[in-house]
Amino acid sequence: VLPRLTRRSASLAALLLAAALAAPATAAAPKRIVALSPFSANTLAALGVKPIAIGESLGGRDTFARSLRSTRVLPLAHPTGPNMEQLASLEPDLVLTSQTWRRGNRTMRNLDIRAVETEPLTVPEMYEEIEHIAALVRRRAEGRRLVARITSRVRAAMRDYQSRPRVMVVLGVGRTPYVFLGNSWGGDILQRAGARLVDADAESPSGFARISDETVVAEDPDVIIGVPHARADDLDEIRDYMRSNETWQLTSAGQNDRIFVSSDDSLLQADIDIASTIEHVRTRYLNNR
Amino acid sequence: MWGRRALVVVAALAALVAGVAASLALGAIDVPVRDVVDALLGRGEEGPATQIVLKLRLPRTVDAILVGAALGVAGALLQGALANPLASPDVIGVTAGSGFGAILILLAFPGSVALLPLGALVFGLLAASLVFLVAWIGPDGGGVGRLILAGIAVGALFAAGTTGLMTAFPDRVQSAVFFLAGGLVSDGWDEMKVVWPYFAVGFALALCLIRPLDRLALGDDVAASLGTRPRLIRLGAGAAAALLAAASAAIAGLLGFLGLVVPHVIRMAGGTASHGFVVPASALGGAALLVAGDTLARTAKPPLELPVGPFMVVLGVPMFLWLLRKAV
Repeated sequence: VLPRLTRRSASLAALLLAAALAAPATAAAPKRIVALSPFSANTLAALGVKPIAIGESLGGRDTFARSLRSTRVLPLAHPTGPNMEQLASLEPDLVLTSQTWRRGNRTMRNLDIRAVETEPLTVPEMYEEIEHIAALVRRRAEGRRLVARITSRVRAAMRDYQSRPRVMVVLGVGRTPYVFLGNSWGGDILQRAGARLVDADAESPSGFARISDETVVAEDPDVIIGVPHARADDLDEIRDYMRSNETWQLTSAGQNDRIFVSSDDSLLQADIDIASTIEHVRTRYLNNR
Repeated sequence: MWGRRALVVVAALAALVAGVAASLALGAIDVPVRDVVDALLGRGEEGPATQIVLKLRLPRTVDAILVGAALGVAGALLQGALANPLASPDVIGVTAGSGFGAILILLAFPGSVALLPLGALVFGLLAASLVFLVAWIGPDGGGVGRLILAGIAVGALFAAGTTGLMTAFPDRVQSAVFFLAGGLVSDGWDEMKVVWPYFAVGFALALCLIRPLDRLALGDDVAASLGTRPRLIRLGAGAAAALLAAASAAIAGLLGFLGLVVPHVIRMAGGTASHGFVVPASALGGAALLVAGDTLARTAKPPLELPVGPFMVVLGVPMFLWLLRKAV
């Protein structure tokens, strides 16, 4: 009996050892993280992780959490995003990047830097991306709590629409108007704020479609929100141009003095403080609280 | 005369060597010269400095040398074959075709950005093939005037396609601006792995065409009496230039200025139009100009990298105008 037991114990020990060796080793959480978008940087800050550097678009108007104010800033420019020499010198374990910098992401991988693309285009995508980032930095529980907190705040911000105005959101690239569609970040936010999005039935995978001034007049929106795609220095000039646009003045929005200009990037790119953005849109532009 | 030519070659070579040294030693991050040398000799310690030199600066410097040389040679071949001082890769539609191919990938298929060099190469060669096809069919087929007109028409067609793409994908246009302005990117050897065979065939063809182009310079009739076939030479020169220019566009975007100006500068400085001198010296001059321009573009406002096209114009135009004044 004894030798049989010993053999069985030995087999069990061997099995346990094999199982332990075969199990994936729990990798350590990355310590040197670079976040290239305001969304990923602010998500890390909300998860209690401080990145070693954050990216900021050239002439951008990005808003970052207070805890990131002393963090090193890497200027981002096309086509690669950050300067690759500067990035390599930081020796990051993980770079949270976006699809915009695809060429740079390839180079990062050539430099043996782990580059992960996180760029939500809609609110549900944002929840998934937060959990993804939390998993990457080994803060799953904090990630779940953050998502729950944002969801609850968004639900509160979406309560009790007094009205549902027809809203056209126009991206101004130079003097050419492009309308925000439902599959853009700003379009999604506007609908959650209670707007009926006026998009002239246009469709585009990019989330934006070029429209003519005639279309703006024909669609006759109640509210027009202009979103200049410009450097901070040029904002005042573009704001004046949008507000005094003669064609827009022919619409109900123009007649009722409801042409607004959003001068930050909150409708252009994802950020975790969407409840505040929805509240701001409702109070400032839609007047439907 | 030989002394003047030798002087031009030595000056271009010296400029190239200085440019290469600066390109490897300078960048957004200060890497001590000793570390640069150690990295190049394989003695560098593992770390960011060695990575920066071997994986970022070295491939980019090699790219600049090859692209500069290729565009210089392409311009020299076309100006010789078409007997036209305004000839450059733009004339045979390559620039517009490559631009369309690259913008198509960047704007319509941004998820497949790895295909950018292939797109630029394929459409550049397609545009050149269309130009040659149109120019060679019908009466007076293969004539210089016909080739240039076909190039202008096909170029306009692809340029319109590029504009159409930029209108259709407005939010992605920014990613295309750098390519259109012309600029090198630090992204290792990936692109060179795709295009090096086209450079190799283009340079080999160029070498074979040196003597026939000298004969062609005497006029079609004289060249024919010497046993040369002018139309075939033009076709060969066009094909070599198309390969070199399309491969260059695949790596560095649209740098039309280089192919136009460098052969002129070399011809005026050397005081001869002999292709045995102009073709190799244009390769050296083009490489030196692009390496210097790219180093300036990388280091003028670090850590931002500016497109190299405007820098080459700033470097090349004063010299060109000075030589032009002297020549007149």
